[in-house]
Amino acid sequence: MQIIFYIFKRILQAIPLLVLVSLISFFIIRLSPVDPLAELKLNPSISQETLQAEKVRMGLDKPLAIQYLLWAKGFLKGDLGVTTTGEKVAVKLMERIPNTLLLTLIVIFMTWICGLPLGILAAINWKTTLDRFLTVLTSIGMAIPSFFFAILMLIFAVKTSWFPVGGLTSYNFNEMGFFHQIWDVTRHLILPVTVLFTISLAGLQRQMRANMLDVLDSDYVKFARAKGLSETQVIFKHALRNAVNPMITLLGFEFSGLLSGAALTEYVFQYPGLGRLILEAVMKSDINLVMASLMIGATMLVIGNLIADILLILTDPRIRAKA
Amino acid sequence: MKRIIYIILFVLILALLLKSCIRRDIPDADISKTNVLKTENTVNYPPPAQTVTLDGIDYLQAQTPIGKYGGELITSTIGEGPKTFNIFSSKDATSSEMSGLMYDALFSTNPQTGAVEPKLAKNYEIKNGTVYIVNLRHGLKWSDGAEITADDVIFTWNEIILKGLGNTSIKDAVTIDKKLPKVIKTGKYQVQFIITKPFAPFLRIIGAPIVPKHIFKDVVKKGAKEFDLFYSTNTPPEKFVVSGAFKLKEYVAAQRVVFERNPNYYMIDKKNQKLPYLNKLVYLIVGDLNNEILKFEAKETDIISLKGSNVARYKAKEANSDYKIYNIGSDTGTMFIVFNLNKRKNADNKFYVNPKKQMWFNDLNFRKAVDYAIDRKSMVQNIANGVAAPLFTAESLNSVYLNKDIKGHNRNMALATQLLYKSGFKYGRNQKLYDKYDNKVEFDLYTNAGNTEREALGVMIKQDLEDLGMYVNFKPIEFNSLVNKMTSTLDWDMIIMGLTGSPLEPHDGKNVWYSNGSLHLFNQRTSRDTKDDRLDFEKELDTIFDKGALETDFKKRKELYDRYQQIIYNQKPIIYLYSPTRIVAIRKKFKNIYPSPLSGVIYNIEEIYEDKN
Repeated sequence: MQIIFYIFKRILQAIPLLVLVSLISFFIIRLSPVDPLAELKLNPSISQETLQAEKVRMGLDKPLAIQYLLWAKGFLKGDLGVTTTGEKVAVKLMERIPNTLLLTLIVIFMTWICGLPLGILAAINWKTTLDRFLTVLTSIGMAIPSFFFAILMLIFAVKTSWFPVGGLTSYNFNEMGFFHQIWDVTRHLILPVTVLFTISLAGLQRQMRANMLDVLDSDYVKFARAKGLSETQVIFKHALRNAVNPMITLLGFEFSGLLSGAALTEYVFQYPGLGRLILEAVMKSDINLVMASLMIGATMLVIGNLIADILLILTDPRIRAKA
Repeated sequence: MKRIIYIILFVLILALLLKSCIRRDIPDADISKTNVLKTENTVNYPPPAQTVTLDGIDYLQAQTPIGKYGGELITSTIGEGPKTFNIFSSKDATSSEMSGLMYDALFSTNPQTGAVEPKLAKNYEIKNGTVYIVNLRHGLKWSDGAEITADDVIFTWNEIILKGLGNTSIKDAVTIDKKLPKVIKTGKYQVQFIITKPFAPFLRIIGAPIVPKHIFKDVVKKGAKEFDLFYSTNTPPEKFVVSGAFKLKEYVAAQRVVFERNPNYYMIDKKNQKLPYLNKLVYLIVGDLNNEILKFEAKETDIISLKGSNVARYKAKEANSDYKIYNIGSDTGTMFIVFNLNKRKNADNKFYVNPKKQMWFNDLNFRKAVDYAIDRKSMVQNIANGVAAPLFTAESLNSVYLNKDIKGHNRNMALATQLLYKSGFKYGRNQKLYDKYDNKVEFDLYTNAGNTEREALGVMIKQDLEDLGMYVNFKPIEFNSLVNKMTSTLDWDMIIMGLTGSPLEPHDGKNVWYSNGSLHLFNQRTSRDTKDDRLDFEKELDTIFDKGALETDFKKRKELYDRYQQIIYNQKPIIYLYSPTRIVAIRKKFKNIYPSPLSGVIYNIEEIYEDKN
């Protein structure tokens, strides 16, 4: 019961936050000197009447405050509006969201499956060769900027022709058999996943290792060892449970990055995800599209944190008592 | 310490191993940039297609060599792909190109001469310069089997174009003195277009594509908003009813657009076999130029248009490769600097341009001096990597109306200084230029930030003009702010810009050259400026463009437009710099390739075939 009340309270708190986010982003975009009609204005064959008609169609003839209210009214009704080229924003987003989710979910799944055990392993074998080896690897992962790594991978793909150059499916995807299709998508995913995996694995492994080291050094672990518990019991029952709390908060952030976290890599690999769409929208000041994506990002962050907090309540009795 | 040495050694060995794996692909020989364009365009164009009547159907017979069926051509498009497949609501080049594949136009353009040729129409006749009689081919079919008749033409014109649905550019173009043309049906296969007075560009404009009435008739009743969403990218491909050589097969957002052959297409080859030869035409949607290059190198695409330094690199590799490089001549794009000749005041009663600067920019000697000080040759060499040609005319180099008598000139600093002295300019301390009222000659040069080519141009122009003693503040600013300056606030001195024109129709540039045009860059008038303060050469330009639109005889028209180019060259309100040259690489296995400066490379896509050997 208490938890339900808590969730309700958190959702209420999120509303003013979202309103504020939408206000700030709307005005920043609109006040910046970016004009969605600039290209048209420089086209010698466009008449003044056409330009005026376009202005009215995009609602640019109304005052800023009215434009915002119109947008907000539509948003509350679940209508995300149309892009500057007249396509429905919701449709455009839905075309891309599954692709981005496919990529980010695979990466998150793989990093957590590998990152946590490697972190624990490094902590247990502190200052041994294994730990040092992992440290070198993760340092490399943390040091390479993602876009640069992605470009290296693309060049690798071109030179070896083992992998396709970007994209998600081959041009003759529809004529392939089912298993061939799966293989095709896998082949396209290997490089972007490698890039994102290497980079996020590094952070996660370091975080887990540090937490674990912290806990292993604490009094209650020493006491558990002194009590004569087996090393497995000490680590998995006492140490791990305490070390995993900060990781749950991290998981909440990972959730918020599900749709937007891979934008740079997506762009370099020409991956048909949200990243490319939104980048283009920002460049062209396609306000409805940008606003929709920003609101999705903000909502995901709020939900992610909420999920993390709930998970924490479930795993940690101390927080449960406070809440 | 020991460990660190081990690590360094390990990294070194790894690096060496990796280095040895990299294939060398950059040739040793340094290819001089001037050689790049040596290969002349020696394309032997086939004769134009002819009408052949078989079993009562008026086919269009291609005169190209007979090819083989099958295969697919994969090309690419930069950006986010098409926004719509509705040819009349498309507002960007990619959408227009792709929907244009599906909807044939009444007329097409001869790739060599630029003459108007019948395509979907069988022939045409012009009476008194005001009545255009267009006869359609008998027995042609839409892809769903319905017949293409005059009703479709009448519907397209009267219900879509003239009603102003979707993109209004055609309507704008045929509005002559605020009057629209009349389009009437005079037979099952005949329509007449009637205008009130002769209008030279009219023939080309009425060659617009035609859409099927039986598919579009319901949506036009629902209004403009519904029309814009009709045939959007989310429409299932089987719903498209087309007249073009290809029909949409698949659209995957941000990845590709696939077209398949239209079995009902009306073109045949010399053996009377139905065209097109190719089974599929694929456009891969790529985000940027670099990715496009990578895709071509990984053999994922068959055609690429090359720019800058890539041209030399590809040229060097051509001999041992599976592609051939074509030089298709100058681009329609022009690069120029423009002076602000504006002497008027804005709404706050302030001058748009500082009065002392007004004096310089309105001084012909000053403008000429700037022109003579600019080193176009080194721009072509250093910025365009030799893949461009110096430009001196307002029409692009591939225009059929190009004034070939304007030969241009080299950089001539002595002449430039002499011209400045003539207007009372003088040199002060440090060889800086002062005008006759002792004002230091200092002005701003703008361009849009992010366009590396224009930014590089700005640096060179600044250097060239500083050799003359002028002080130039080069300021790249954001594209939208620049457009705002050019079209609304008008508070600029000099701008580096580029525009694309039409190589076939100079009248398309009317918004630039008419003194009240909406893009009359060098002397922009706003709706408040009602007083007639036209400069003499502006007046002459106005009459030339008025007359040019009325004149239907090509020779006489050419004389008029020659004069307009001469005026711009003499008066130099805009100084043209260079025009990029288009270089395209295509895999050798494709035959019937006849690239043309006017039409591009795959304009004859129905005739192109793949020869696997």
